[in-house]
Amino acid sequence: MIEILGLSHQFTRQDSADENLVVLDNISLTIEKGSFVSFVGPSGCGKTTLLRIIHGLIKPKVGKVLIEGETVCGPSANRAMVFQEFNLLPWRTVLKNIEFGLELQGTDRSARRQAALDVLKRVGLGGFERYYPHQLSGGMKQRVGLARALSTSPTYLFMDEPLGALDPQIRELMQTELLKLLDAHRKTVVFVTHSVDEAIFLSDRIVVFSARPGRILTHIDIELPRPRWKDDEKIKSSEKFVTYRQHIWHLLKHELQSELQLQTMPKLA
Amino acid sequence: MAETQSVKAFERTERAVVPEAEEGSPFRKIWNRHSTAITRIIAAILFFGGWEWAVRSGSVNPLFISSPTMISIRLFEVFADGSIWSHIRASGEIAGLGFVLSVVVGVPLGMLMGRVKLVRDTLEPLIMAKYSSPTVAFLPLLIIWFGIGILSKIVLVFLGGVIVMIINTEAGVANVDRQLVETAKSFTASEYQILSKVVIPSAVPFILTGMRLAVGRILILVVVAELYGSSAGLGYIIFQASANYDTAMVFVGVIILAAAGVVLNALLRAMEIRLTPWTTTLAKW
Repeated sequence: MIEILGLSHQFTRQDSADENLVVLDNISLTIEKGSFVSFVGPSGCGKTTLLRIIHGLIKPKVGKVLIEGETVCGPSANRAMVFQEFNLLPWRTVLKNIEFGLELQGTDRSARRQAALDVLKRVGLGGFERYYPHQLSGGMKQRVGLARALSTSPTYLFMDEPLGALDPQIRELMQTELLKLLDAHRKTVVFVTHSVDEAIFLSDRIVVFSARPGRILTHIDIELPRPRWKDDEKIKSSEKFVTYRQHIWHLLKHELQSELQLQTMPKLA
Repeated sequence: MAETQSVKAFERTERAVVPEAEEGSPFRKIWNRHSTAITRIIAAILFFGGWEWAVRSGSVNPLFISSPTMISIRLFEVFADGSIWSHIRASGEIAGLGFVLSVVVGVPLGMLMGRVKLVRDTLEPLIMAKYSSPTVAFLPLLIIWFGIGILSKIVLVFLGGVIVMIINTEAGVANVDRQLVETAKSFTASEYQILSKVVIPSAVPFILTGMRLAVGRILILVVVAELYGSSAGLGYIIFQASANYDTAMVFVGVIILAAAGVVLNALLRAMEIRLTPWTTTLAKW
């Protein structure tokens, strides 16, 4: 279980010393073990920052995060992260990239090789062991990124817009594959995305954020039957799905409009 | 820093032009496929033919510019009787030792400068001052300090090479992708692991480029060093031959140096392609 307690964060602005950029404002949230939770919100609302704080990559200015009752003060081996830009090491082959996490965590050579080969097959990269990242398509690269995270057998999987850099068709395919993988190995997933449809299709619960400074607008429990990957087309066109989308989009549109007005309105002294 | 980037950018744009469609007469096809090579061969024939003709027709004095055939014969002779090898070895020793020292000292120093602010703040003005001043200007001073033997020459070559290695290594270390560092951190990497598994490997392409640039500078410096008070080496040969108005021999020295430059560059280039395939896939030559 992840508990976020009264969390606020701000970045110090480079251009003006005394004005700070508040990105998260008093966030409290509980994420149940084994659930798939998505963060949705306008750009710059701090959802990616929140994910990094939960993992321990950024220290929050106010408040704290508890995972299984313990305060997070840095990354830990039972949590793994998947990044939007894949972040593969270009000098390593696919196999060595997948091993990277386990290698850093001190797993011995043969055990990590075995784990990497195992996950590699599960994500559909069999035969690509010796390829280098620059020889792969975006979808393949993210499979490597996902395999690198899964190979450490994390209890918690944090995904920062993992499908955001892929083209829309590959993206939909990867969504179903992700669900299939997670059905076989249940994990607690925190998933940041811009795509409302993606969030509904994947999640048990969606947290909708306001425009900056990020506050939680609402939580929505997604009660669509699982497993969803078997008949993804039917689910995505179901009445329930469309209702969820309308509801979330309505909330977001409001946020986006106020953001747009802020940008276009002349500044009053 | 800028040097490294511009070299990389230059190599990226220098790509073979692939003809889109093969049609028309057989000559047209050959031309489409090999236009660059054909142009170069014709230009070379015109240049050397013109040179040879100018000398044979008596319109220029062979004492000053020699001729392609005279140079070829001379080149053949010095290899046939083996007299050139001791000079190649002498220059090679200076260049080789200077290069190895440049790499061995320059890479760790560059890494320190890239990672430790105190070292960077201390050394940067010195490095930049050295980088902007011609290395050759230090030769008289080095001769006073180290004598006219091999030592002053190695130090000169080292001074020229090490600067390039430091600057390139520092750039490589400083330009490490922050996202890769964050990724390593997310998998609980220690500071030492970040350095050894992310920062240093990502500096390798820069170091290899630095080595290639260093070789270019070193070849120049070897020749300059050998112009003063030496009794062997390619620079010595060139100097002696020009004093004797033996122009063909001057060209022999120059040709061997140029060939060494081309061969070493190609070797290092091949090493770059092998070791850093992700940065070199665009530049195929």
